[in-house]
Amino acid sequence: MAESDQANKSEGQESIVEAGKTSRWLTENGFEHEALEADHSGVEVLKVDRDFLIPFATALYAYGFNYLQCQAAYDSGPGGDLVSTYHLMKLTDNADRPDEVRIKVFLPREDPRVPSVYWIWKAADWQERESYDMYGIVYEGHPNLKRILMPEDWKGYPLRKDYVSPDFFELQDAY
Amino acid sequence: MVMNPDTASSKDVLNQLTNPIGAPQVTQDLSENVILTTLDDLHNWARLSSLWPLLYGTACCFIEFAALIGSRFDFDRFGLVPRASPRQADLIITAGTITMKMAPALVRLYEQMPDPKYVIAMGACTITGGMFSADSPTAVRGVDKLIPVDVYMPGCPPRPEAIIDAIIKLRKKISNEAVQERGLVGQTHRYYTRSHNMKPVPDILTGEYLRSSTRQAPPRELMQAMGMPVSPALEEVQQKEESARG
Repeated sequence: MAESDQANKSEGQESIVEAGKTSRWLTENGFEHEALEADHSGVEVLKVDRDFLIPFATALYAYGFNYLQCQAAYDSGPGGDLVSTYHLMKLTDNADRPDEVRIKVFLPREDPRVPSVYWIWKAADWQERESYDMYGIVYEGHPNLKRILMPEDWKGYPLRKDYVSPDFFELQDAY
Repeated sequence: MVMNPDTASSKDVLNQLTNPIGAPQVTQDLSENVILTTLDDLHNWARLSSLWPLLYGTACCFIEFAALIGSRFDFDRFGLVPRASPRQADLIITAGTITMKMAPALVRLYEQMPDPKYVIAMGACTITGGMFSADSPTAVRGVDKLIPVDVYMPGCPPRPEAIIDAIIKLRKKISNEAVQERGLVGQTHRYYTRSHNMKPVPDILTGEYLRSSTRQAPPRELMQAMGMPVSPALEEVQQKEESARG
């Protein structure tokens, strides 16, 4: 991720990403965002500030993106931002290549708070819990935000790049 | 003239000639109908012929174990009838990775099984942690840290034939046991333990999962944000007003 960012910067102004259909619609209606480079299958990727995520998501839901296919998170690198991503689709009967869009919210590592989209797409329930469990991203407004995979009393967030696996002598080295 | 003499009659004649008292009929009957054995052997034979494994699997090893239950490998012929309750099982095959979250459940299941009970550690994960032994934060490095293991079965995952092999080895082990020595066989103290100060916390599973109050309606801030796309400046003003009102 970081490498591709640098590549874009080094190429300079030539590599301006052309805004896709959804991105143009959002811009016309006054929703601020930044279009990132589309992925290998041509899905639009939009970067949104976390303060505007809820109005942004509400607008996309009204626009027809009724299906949250995947909510995920990743760590962009040591010391870098944590990223919460949302992959949206327009789900209809007899859909043929329905519209897709991916939203990325970049969150500072020291204060990873983002509003929950649970109340827009109920599918976000457990997936946001997993993102919280693995990366420590706090989804504000989530009805039941607690660890889903790790034990309840676990310290730290295992998939962060700066996580150090603790040594459990009794369960790992003894006997 | 008959060239071939009657064989039956010639045998009788031969018997009468060589052993005029007759065959020891009583001894032969006894050896065919009476078994002389020890109580240990009888008891062990009965136990090893009806090893009931617990229907237990946590990962891909159980796929192989399930194949073993099926008709192609058919482990019922060893008297293995999978039981869904630990109270009725006397063998547990730990098929699959054990994580630290699963460990208390596994120990609980093992404790619930009636004595004498046996453990087969199936696959690399339950022997050493397998591919999770390098850097996994949660995998238990070998199930023998938790419960005593009788047979280690390597493989990732082991084929059903390997499970049959492990069960045959376990049957050999059982057949060598003695009732008198049962009290001597106990789990050794395996690792250094320290006294943990547990803090009791309220139960997290209350049965109110979907009915909990947090699921009835979103928080007020989110409701406001979702109602209409409000400009952030306006939202800040509203929040300030609310906080001023208290």
